[in-house]
Amino acid sequence: MKRREFLRKGGWFLVGTGCGRGLLMVAAASAAGADTRWGMVIDLTRCPADCRACVQACRQENNVALHGDTRHDIHWIRKVTIRKKHQPDGREVSLPVLCNHCDHPPCAQVCPVKATTQRPDGIVIVDHHRCIGCRYCLIACPYNARFFNYRENEDWPNPEYPKRSHGVAESCHLCAHRLDQGLQPACVDACRQAGAGALVVGNLNDPESEISRLIAGNPVQRIRPDLGTEPKVHYIGL
Amino acid sequence: MSSRRILGVGRNAAVAVIPLLIILAPLGHAIYVEVLADDVDDAQAFLELPAEPNDGCVRETTYMRFHHWELLREVRDEVVRGGVRKEISLTRCRECHPSREKFCNRCHQAVSLEPDCFGCHYYPAAAAGQREVTSR
Repeated sequence: MKRREFLRKGGWFLVGTGCGRGLLMVAAASAAGADTRWGMVIDLTRCPADCRACVQACRQENNVALHGDTRHDIHWIRKVTIRKKHQPDGREVSLPVLCNHCDHPPCAQVCPVKATTQRPDGIVIVDHHRCIGCRYCLIACPYNARFFNYRENEDWPNPEYPKRSHGVAESCHLCAHRLDQGLQPACVDACRQAGAGALVVGNLNDPESEISRLIAGNPVQRIRPDLGTEPKVHYIGL
Repeated sequence: MSSRRILGVGRNAAVAVIPLLIILAPLGHAIYVEVLADDVDDAQAFLELPAEPNDGCVRETTYMRFHHWELLREVRDEVVRGGVRKEISLTRCRECHPSREKFCNRCHQAVSLEPDCFGCHYYPAAAAGQREVTSR
């Protein structure tokens, strides 16, 4: 084999071995639905202030820890009451706040081990196997949607879904395991069963989906869009 | 002259080779036990196989015995980071191997490994109705 031929073949071999696995992952990612972009619409006009169905359903589904200590409690979705002081009526709004699954997630950008990633379908998810518990993401998230496991969670209401061990950060992943199976997230199902139907999760890329029609037909707002994180949780009546 | 040199080379060779053989003896024994000798199957002594072996398992028994962790690690990345959910999952092991104490723990204890899968993934140490032997 001549030197030039050897170099050419060796180069192709190196390129092939290097790209093979990456190409496989890309192919798998596109198979998982790269044309899907999950988002959420929360209709606050239909969300009763005293209802906690979504919060409880999320705890049951995802084994979210409630230790009874406000420093250590974890909330993937929580009800926040805000008073609009700057408005003449000064009305109070109770809104569910969860991970906004930003298009430019600051939590994923600061993660030193790339445990927090954005899936091809836009869901921001924590790989708890990789998380080293540095808590940068808790500081980076402008929505306080990130929580840290300061201690072990003893409750395990849903054995089919794993819990998180002591020392990793966690947040809402829009029930990615349910969306992958074609189900709706637990909070959405609970909200519908409670009779409110305020939460809608769907594909933002599909103009025919319910969520796209809600966004097109209503004055929707997002929390702190000025930060440039492009959150994908939209509120009606904020 | 020539015989002394041969003797000298022989002594040097012996000094080099004999400790090497002693060092490599455990490796050779391990290769013999794990690879070459078909009838020697230590795993059977403490691993309880299901009633119908390899019936519906995702890979063959030998592969699963030595490489299940690689398989699980690859599947883990695909599921968590790519959202690709296929037939392989840790929860599916429970269908054929209901007792973690008899399936996972015995081997891992024998080789001094402590996988931390089960702090987060539900896999009861003993099947329903059986006594739990180890805590992990």
